[in-house]
Amino acid sequence: METYKLFNWFKEYGWRHLFALLFVTFAIYPILFVATNSVADFANLTNSKLIPDGFTLKHYKLLSSNPLVPYYKWLFNTYKVAIIAAFFNVFLGTLAAFAFSRLQFRGRRASLLTLVIVQMFPSFLAFVAIYLLFFQISDVAPIMGLGTHFGLILVYLGGSIGFNSWLIKGFMDTISPSLDEAAKVDGATEYQIFSKIIAPLARPILVVIFVITFIGIYSDYILAAIFLKDKNLWTVAVGINTVFVDDFNADWGVIAASSVIAATPIAALFVFFQKQITGGLTAGSVKG
Amino acid sequence: MTVSKIFRYSFLAIINSLIVYAIPLTLTYESWFLLSLIIVIGILINIVYFSDRFLPMKWILPGMIFMISFVVFPALYNSYVSFTNWSTGHILTKTQAINILEDRVYTPENQKGIEFDMFILQDSNLDFYYVANLDSNNILFGKAVSDDEIFTTSYANHEPSLFVNNEFITPDGYYLLSGKEQIANSTTLQDLSLIIDESTRVQLYKISVFGASSGRLSSTSQLYTYDDLNDVMINNADNLSCPVVKDNFVCDGKEIEPGWRVFVGGENYRKLFSSQRIRGPLGVVTKWTFQFAFLSVLLCFVVGLFLSMILNKDGLKFKRIYRAIFILPYAIPAFVSVLVWKGLLNPDYGLINSWLGPLYEIFDIEPIKWLTTKESARSAVLLVNTWLGFPYMFLITTGALQSIPKELIEAAKVDGASGLQSFWRITFPLLMVSISPLLIGSFAFNFNNFTLIFLLTGGGPPIIGSDVAVGWTDILISFTYKLAISGGRGNLFGLASSVTIIIFFIVLVISAISFRYTKRLERIYGNI
Repeated sequence: METYKLFNWFKEYGWRHLFALLFVTFAIYPILFVATNSVADFANLTNSKLIPDGFTLKHYKLLSSNPLVPYYKWLFNTYKVAIIAAFFNVFLGTLAAFAFSRLQFRGRRASLLTLVIVQMFPSFLAFVAIYLLFFQISDVAPIMGLGTHFGLILVYLGGSIGFNSWLIKGFMDTISPSLDEAAKVDGATEYQIFSKIIAPLARPILVVIFVITFIGIYSDYILAAIFLKDKNLWTVAVGINTVFVDDFNADWGVIAASSVIAATPIAALFVFFQKQITGGLTAGSVKG
Repeated sequence: MTVSKIFRYSFLAIINSLIVYAIPLTLTYESWFLLSLIIVIGILINIVYFSDRFLPMKWILPGMIFMISFVVFPALYNSYVSFTNWSTGHILTKTQAINILEDRVYTPENQKGIEFDMFILQDSNLDFYYVANLDSNNILFGKAVSDDEIFTTSYANHEPSLFVNNEFITPDGYYLLSGKEQIANSTTLQDLSLIIDESTRVQLYKISVFGASSGRLSSTSQLYTYDDLNDVMINNADNLSCPVVKDNFVCDGKEIEPGWRVFVGGENYRKLFSSQRIRGPLGVVTKWTFQFAFLSVLLCFVVGLFLSMILNKDGLKFKRIYRAIFILPYAIPAFVSVLVWKGLLNPDYGLINSWLGPLYEIFDIEPIKWLTTKESARSAVLLVNTWLGFPYMFLITTGALQSIPKELIEAAKVDGASGLQSFWRITFPLLMVSISPLLIGSFAFNFNNFTLIFLLTGGGPPIIGSDVAVGWTDILISFTYKLAISGGRGNLFGLASSVTIIIFFIVLVISAISFRYTKRLERIYGNI
């Protein structure tokens, strides 16, 4: 009888746990492996112990002491570029979304449709042209040319503003128009309706879009790699993938530490906003 | 005048002064495309903000400027570049190339090989002075200067008084350097010259420790002169006239570098499809791009769906914990995960090979050299992409499964359908309705998944015998990147752009299919 019960449990639940555990291992092993190696005394590729022999922070300290690997500078650059670009992205996107959602004008549908169609093509596809365009901008206005954060931020701004306007517009459409009509009756200007009513009410989606854009820019490799040639201006994505190429085994502790620092904030953001991000992603893909 | 008007007009004044500042510069550098971009943006800004007729555009334009400048314009520019020969050696415009060529100098035949005695002096400021004894009529004395100072220095003087009975007399206030001292200062002396006239100078040639050192004339005669009437470059050294052949001046059958960029029509495209040594690799890359994108979606979807199916069971314990962990790989930036996987896959030390170690022993086979052979690199790319991508599929299939009404399955059970039957006949078709647009989206994403390919394998291992840098795991976008930026064969911008255009068209077709298939366009249109 006992065996029968056990068999039945296995048939109902047990095998599910078995496969789930298998894929839990698959999903989490690389992450644990890096996390433990970043604090292990003898970190190397063959160190498969998930509980390290000796705990140390030396790899993290090494990252700040090697002038050839200005890791924290890269980290600072990445946050700087991503925060500025994401902020202006959301700001300008909100302005545009307000017009699309609240103002009536000729060509509204056509321009919205253009936005959607343009955004089907990832902006980095035309990277050759972007490179050559900025090559020319370097002559005319060196402060925003190739090799500058300014120029890179401009490119990131162009890259996702259309899609973001579209998402924000979708959210603004759900805010009841009776609110701004009432305000209009009371004599509010267009700008007041925007800044006092619509923008504050749209804040939840603005936060989410800021986070999505921030994560996207933080994780970008191709545009940053094309733009930034000076080691001190690199972003983390470019830095760790350019410096750590030769001796993986010897550098493993440092590589692990740099990975942990680069990934943790993003993973935390993702987990915190997971519902909204995946909701936004799927809603975005289904709707437009 | 209201505050907002003052604000508006000062804003416009700033923008317009920037434009006025930039336009002459673009003209000087012949950056026509940038110029047209600046003009378009400038006109848009002025029209929209000067008049009150385009109120809604005032809200939209700021964001749109960036989209026009860095998405729409580059796309157009990209198409233009694909019809040019823009590449290393042909980066400049014709005027720029001519300017560079006209700056080149040569030493005329009649001045070559003449050597003469040189004396090197130093004054109290430690500046160097040269005395060149060409012949009794040309005993030249003057300050030796570096290249930057050439045009600000006076010419050397004839000073016969420095020699008495053919013996050199050191003038007052100067110190004569011995051979040893010259050697000690040789790195400085190398860069100095005594200027004789506009096009001739004297440089130190050989340092002698025993006798007088010797000097040599070097001329700065202009090597090339451009004849714009006949559009030929004249080589002054050989008195050759070098005509234009397409994108270079050609002297006696030899192209002179640099050339310039020209419109070449469909040549890049012809090259892609007819040159055997490019067509072959391009075919391999295109095929693999489709395989990679398709297999990635398939693997991620199968794993993701399987996991959401096994967790979709009432009363299953630890469900939330499993879910949280399955999502983790998706939360980590790809550039980090790929780096870590590169470590795991390391053929010599990596954990994957040490786990497979026993298997290698049992079956007595060589350990797999991950990432270094075609098959292993391609499998590794797919393995890592499955790890990166299954959480997304898990998330969306979980959502979709939960939205399928339980009664449907129950009803099927009542009607005697087996578990498998109800899955294939009910669950799966319903699932596909809501999931298929996302699958197409995922396909399009992986089609251009540059970060994974480039960071994990760099496109390698290389395909031997091809004309351009390309590897077995290269997808179209990483292939383009290598052509344009990092292939080690210079920057083939024109050719790379033509590959990009191909990608554009493929993405267009994919999107069209997805629009068609899901009637997305109608929904969007109905939505706005």
